[in-house]
Amino acid sequence: MTLTKRLLALLFVFALVAAACGGDDDDTGDTAAETTEAAAETTTTAAAGDAETTTTAAEAMDDFEGLVLDAGGCDYGGRVEKISALDEHTVEFDLCGPHPAFLAQIAFIVFGIQPAEYLEATGGAPIDNPIGTGPYTLQEWVRGDSVVFQRFDDYYGQVAPHQTAVLRWATESAGRLLELQSGVASGMTFPGPEDYATIEADANLSLLDKPEPNIFYMGFTDIFAPFDDVRVRQAISLAMDRQRIIDTFYPPGSEVASHFTPCSVEFGCEGESWPDQDVAAAQALLAEAGFPDGFSTSIFYRDVTRGYLPTPGNVAADIQAQLKETLNIDAEVVQMESAEFIQQCSSAGQCDGIHLLGWTGDYPHVTNFLDFHFGEGVTQFGNGHPEIHEALTEASQTADPAVAQPLYETANNAIRDLVPMIPIAHAGSAFVAGSNVNGAYAPPWGQVLFNYWDNGTDTMVFVQGNEPISLYCADESDGESLRACAQVVEGLYSYSQSGEVQPQLATECVPNEDLSLWTCSLRNDVVFHDGSTLDANDVVVSFTAGLDAASPLHTGNSGAFDYYSYLWNGLINAEG
Amino acid sequence: MLGFITRRTLLAIPVLIGIVIVVFLLVRAIPGDPCTAMLGERATEEACDRFNEANGLDEPIWTQLTIYMGNVVTFDLGESVRFSRPVNQLLIERLPLTIELALSALTIAVVVGVPLGIISARRHNTAVDTATMAFANVGVSMPVFWLGLMLAYLFAVVFKDTPFALPPSGRLTAGVFSTPYYEAWGWTLQEGFWAKYHEFVGNHYIFNAVITRDWTVLNDAVRHMILPAVALATIPLAIIARITRSSLLEVMGKDYIRTARAKGANEQRVVRRHALRNAMLPVVTIIGLQMGLLLGGAVLTETVFNLAGVGRALFDAITGRDYAVVQGFTVVVAAGYVVVNLLVDLSYGYLDPRIRVK
Repeated sequence: MTLTKRLLALLFVFALVAAACGGDDDDTGDTAAETTEAAAETTTTAAAGDAETTTTAAEAMDDFEGLVLDAGGCDYGGRVEKISALDEHTVEFDLCGPHPAFLAQIAFIVFGIQPAEYLEATGGAPIDNPIGTGPYTLQEWVRGDSVVFQRFDDYYGQVAPHQTAVLRWATESAGRLLELQSGVASGMTFPGPEDYATIEADANLSLLDKPEPNIFYMGFTDIFAPFDDVRVRQAISLAMDRQRIIDTFYPPGSEVASHFTPCSVEFGCEGESWPDQDVAAAQALLAEAGFPDGFSTSIFYRDVTRGYLPTPGNVAADIQAQLKETLNIDAEVVQMESAEFIQQCSSAGQCDGIHLLGWTGDYPHVTNFLDFHFGEGVTQFGNGHPEIHEALTEASQTADPAVAQPLYETANNAIRDLVPMIPIAHAGSAFVAGSNVNGAYAPPWGQVLFNYWDNGTDTMVFVQGNEPISLYCADESDGESLRACAQVVEGLYSYSQSGEVQPQLATECVPNEDLSLWTCSLRNDVVFHDGSTLDANDVVVSFTAGLDAASPLHTGNSGAFDYYSYLWNGLINAEG
Repeated sequence: MLGFITRRTLLAIPVLIGIVIVVFLLVRAIPGDPCTAMLGERATEEACDRFNEANGLDEPIWTQLTIYMGNVVTFDLGESVRFSRPVNQLLIERLPLTIELALSALTIAVVVGVPLGIISARRHNTAVDTATMAFANVGVSMPVFWLGLMLAYLFAVVFKDTPFALPPSGRLTAGVFSTPYYEAWGWTLQEGFWAKYHEFVGNHYIFNAVITRDWTVLNDAVRHMILPAVALATIPLAIIARITRSSLLEVMGKDYIRTARAKGANEQRVVRRHALRNAMLPVVTIIGLQMGLLLGGAVLTETVFNLAGVGRALFDAITGRDYAVVQGFTVVVAAGYVVVNLLVDLSYGYLDPRIRVK
């Protein structure tokens, strides 16, 4: 659809909305919810597929006309049924089921809020020039070179100590480090493990430990022999010297995984720790399973470097050697093309050996680790285990931590006993700052905010690995884009410097008893960079642009809105 | 002359068509697909189907090729799936840097390499000759990325806070902006070809700074260009020096040189008037070839020095399976190569009138 058509469609909807609301002038509903419902019934709907979506002006209190994003039910399979602006400063998220990770999820910068009018004016594609409420306004994106931010003096939070912040990029870690060493930059992301010693020896630099929430594991698919025998999986688990892998291949700050989920995530480390290496017990178990002399298998991996797996080929070779040394297992190392590897080993669960994979958390909630890998219907590890996924399902539907805690303990213990995979490492990582920078930090979740970094000058330069793809992060998923966006745009919640979820544009979001209805109150002192005031409609329209595939604002950069689709279990009105 | 240029230009067309087809097919032979590269490894099959459909990647490959060829004829090089921007626009932003870098490197290579070759030839089999050729051999053998990092470390870190300090990366210092000449002169450009043309010209920061007399930007841009240009120039410089030396040595043994000497011409005149011009043919050929290589081969230099030119964009596009960018940039670099070679051929006529007559 062309931009013109989208705008015309949008105007048409608003014209009908205005007409509908005009007829209700005399109505003064008892509650905001009732008036919203009444208005929704009388206004136009954009229907596609099974779900119906309505973005309507609902008459509420005073002159404020609250908008509603209505999926028309939950049959489309996603999490969101309705998002309503109840009044100028209240937004209600009506979900299709309990969602205990709601706050952790909406703190993700992808769900940042921009002015409704601006999103409409840009046709839902403010990809070069976002307008937000954050500590910086965007001055210029010098393509290929840098993104330049200017301090937002009307920011309601901590105003930046410098006038200008510059985000640059250099693919090579050595290049980024040179910028710091030469004094051009004040901070950088992810130094190479080989540079740690240099950085620590340099009095002008500070290494900032960044506890990355990740896991590297060896996976088994239990529909294939001999991994259909739990004793074989347990034997391999007991045979592995995981500390050796960490010591040899991982940067400082990495640790052997005691559980699948990092302990920094609540409930991540409930239950017993993963057993230590015990080669004798491993050999006995393998013999008991009928393989006293070992067997032949494959180790599948992809040659793609990730934070959780810095040197895939070397780690695969070491695992191959350990299997041979301890259990006489002959494992052929098979390097696969990345997409095929993900498809075969992760999505389809069709790798008939051991596969090496990992995960980096999107938001700080245990469901993002456990449910995604061990939830009902996940085929990566074979048939799945009711002992695990039943506990996870129950835990994900309770609001009470006291109820959830023993359920996650049960799930973690079941994972430990049934060994669908062996957790190897939580890889460490770091940022680097000039030692003259006050307030430098590297957050475990979310993006670093430059307004806390004070280098004592009027310009602060930070170097990351790559150029942002676009600055409309509702439709981006790479960390480089998100880091740039986070300086300008904010969400209802955010992550603190130490990783806790904290209110940002909302003062609070209060759930109902079963966590399926969340009512968020907005701050009333927030202005956007264009001078407009934040209100509940900005929230509804921002979410509509991302969630509703039929909305004329659902444009973005690539149009994929990957995280909206993935984290809300699908888009409203998505084709197919 | 016009006929020659026309003939060579027409001959370049099948070459460019061949390049388009080969690049089009080769880039699709790289393992991996744009959807996974773009949407990430968690992209669902449905999301990839939508992505491929939106970008025309679900069509049969021959249909895609036909559409692409049709677009190329109209100078539409497609749209980057990574940046959702026209490839032409990316070229307008990135090609000027590569042109400036390549020209700077070539200037250094010629200005230093040719005299070195001449000195070496004139002092044949002396210590000067040995030292010069040893330098040339080291230059040819030195990996550009290593040399680049060493230069950056030396001038940005070791010489930090001294007059010799040079920036290790980027085109301009943070906070320094190049104002395009049309903005500096208050021109209002209308959308269209000429606006893009002026944008392209204005993105040559050094040239733009000269014509707008913005000495701050000029100083900053030149200082940023020195290290990458030196790193990039090293190999061509060494090759040019060696070719100049061997070519000059060959010419110096010719009968007409002996005749010139017999006529009483001094050695400097013999070299300058009689030998050098005749020795320049192979040198000019090599310079032309090097210019082509510099245009497309600046990947490592641009990566080490964090410069957003064509080379780095090509590298990023290949790793990101951004087919349109790989194809578009390759075609433009190839076209540049063809043009440079045409210029080299034309220069033969100036250097050797016999070629013009033929």
